Amino acid sequence: MDLHYTPQQESFRREVRAWLADHVPSEPLVTLERKEGFDQHVAWERELATGNWGMVTWPVEYGGRGLDLIEWLIFEEEYWAAGAPLRANQNGIFLLGPTIMEFGTDEQKARFLAPMARGEVIWAQAWSEPGAGSDMAGIKTTAVRDGDHYVINGQKTWSSRASFADWGFGLFRTEQGSERHRGLSFLLFDLDAPGITRRPICQLHGDPGFAELFFDDVRVPVENRIAGEGDGWKVAMATAGFERGLMLRSPGRFQATAARLVSLLNQQSHRSSPGLREEVVKLWARAQAYAYNTYQVAIRIMDGGSIGAEASLNKIFWSELDRAMHRAAMHLLGPTAELRQFEDGQANDWLEGYIFSLSGPIYAGSNEIQRNITAERLLGMPRVGAG
Amino acid sequence: MDFRISSEQAELAEAVRVFLSQTHGPDVLRALDGKGGRDPAIWQGLADMGLFGLLVPEDDGGMGRSLIDGALIARECGRVCLAEPLVDTAFVAVPWLMACGETDDLAAIARGELSVQLPHSINPWVVGGEGESLAGVDPLRQLATAPSKGTDDPYLLDLGALMMAAQLVGLAEAMLEQAVAYSQVREQFGQPIGGFQAIKHKLADVAVELEFVRPVLWRAAQALEDGLQSASVHVSHAKYTAADAAYLASESAIQVYGAMGYTYEVDLHFWMKRTWALGGAWGGRSFHYRRVDAAILDGAMPIGPQHTFA
Repeated sequence: MDLHYTPQQESFRREVRAWLADHVPSEPLVTLERKEGFDQHVAWERELATGNWGMVTWPVEYGGRGLDLIEWLIFEEEYWAAGAPLRANQNGIFLLGPTIMEFGTDEQKARFLAPMARGEVIWAQAWSEPGAGSDMAGIKTTAVRDGDHYVINGQKTWSSRASFADWGFGLFRTEQGSERHRGLSFLLFDLDAPGITRRPICQLHGDPGFAELFFDDVRVPVENRIAGEGDGWKVAMATAGFERGLMLRSPGRFQATAARLVSLLNQQSHRSSPGLREEVVKLWARAQAYAYNTYQVAIRIMDGGSIGAEASLNKIFWSELDRAMHRAAMHLLGPTAELRQFEDGQANDWLEGYIFSLSGPIYAGSNEIQRNITAERLLGMPRVGAG
Repeated sequence: MDFRISSEQAELAEAVRVFLSQTHGPDVLRALDGKGGRDPAIWQGLADMGLFGLLVPEDDGGMGRSLIDGALIARECGRVCLAEPLVDTAFVAVPWLMACGETDDLAAIARGELSVQLPHSINPWVVGGEGESLAGVDPLRQLATAPSKGTDDPYLLDLGALMMAAQLVGLAEAMLEQAVAYSQVREQFGQPIGGFQAIKHKLADVAVELEFVRPVLWRAAQALEDGLQSASVHVSHAKYTAADAAYLASESAIQVYGAMGYTYEVDLHFWMKRTWALGGAWGGRSFHYRRVDAAILDGAMPIGPQHTFA
């Protein structure tokens, strides 16, 4: 064990810090849940790409820098410390990208990864259906083979980024009459393809962040299928592992929130209490614990290991941490918590953050499902009863 | 940057785990409970494994290993609720004696000939020793009045707190395993109770806490090994969160056992009582919480994503 960065890692950190200092927008962007803000965030993705910062772990030929996961963590730490914008393409770079890297053909890698890293194609995910939420194996939307195409019919919902994104990925039932986890395939589709109707859903904060997708005889080329026909569940579980376990929520995000929360506590000491103070310290400690754990997971993956069901532990931890940090902030803000904009004109990011944090324990597989997975696959408890 | 328990370290811990599971099972605890809590054969077995010399320099007949190794083995001692104060002698006293340059006794300690329980002003008593014996809740932990008030040396305090945290992690892991095992065999409403989500989620919560305490423990051990200025903060972080995790594990486990958990018949009580003891030893929760609080809220330690390993 050696908890010191190498000179190369330190120099990489300085390079990231310097670039971000020169490029991070000085004014906060409009929320990416609105078209105006989405476009601003896409422009930021393209700005990142000019410095080859789209996804530093990817091979150079796909727009990356061929760096390892420790360097990715350093990048993320500096990214969040610099207060850089949310990543409009997180579904692409953090979830689909690693999935294509693992399961895609060379042709698919060439076709999809570089435009993703350059921010030219923004991706939405399409897992859930009205009847398939926590029980994702209940997917009914069909993709019927017709020559060298699939013809998709059905409906997806809660499709993140789908209001404004360019392409989507999801699971579809390619074997008619199949049930549960069998007969599903992982397909990529152009959200502007004929037959797709997007209906944005107004979220808790009042903006259309996710959307319903209706498929009416949508034709998708067979070469847009990742891995074999019928292998969709396996591929989706790997994607979900990336989502829950490592990439989607790098620790820097929570450490930055924890540091802001400590500042808020110091500013709002007149609205604090001993209990709230202790809560803030505990939450800082948890954000640190999450960071240490992620470094250990990263090393394990670099050693050839993988993220299995442990991803569920992570997902429970970060989502509930995020909610608790924003809840503590709401309490510290007291009567000003309800303002969308403070009297000095600053946006109340804590309120927006609290609203968003409420989705964390629900998306990417609800925390109840994660606790079932933890109990059954990690602890070996019986899979009987409602589970 | 290499946040990794080496394969050599993992193998050593595994060997100790196998040895202790074979020689120090719950039956041993029950037997000791009936006859005063000591059996010289256990001490000798630990000495034969070389564990007293784990941190003693090779020149003095030891293995010259690091505090990470000590913490790894202390965790194993917690897992089996070890009856002998190996940790206090080998992983708390030895590194402190080495730091003080008091090396005369190290060879004898490494051979298992000396038990050293250092008094410290933070603890009102010591484990073992010649003093007047005190009644404690843990039947296998022999409390005695300290021969002197002891030092107030901060490094000794950090060593003690770190190694208590490591044992608390092992205790919590063992209690979780016991509760899981019981949930697999105890049937009600025609099925193992472990099939009910109420039980699954309760124990999943313990698994989550443990997953995120272990790296804090390793971080604290390495910080102390490296002599970081911030080491005390990391040790306190580990101590108070390990105590929280162990309390959670113990309360969750007794609930899963139900009325059986409230009896002396089930082994769980040994681990619960050790949790209560170690949770307060070498600084209780409030003491360690306050050290973290002071460092974080008063700006003594840089915080934020770019300072993960500050």
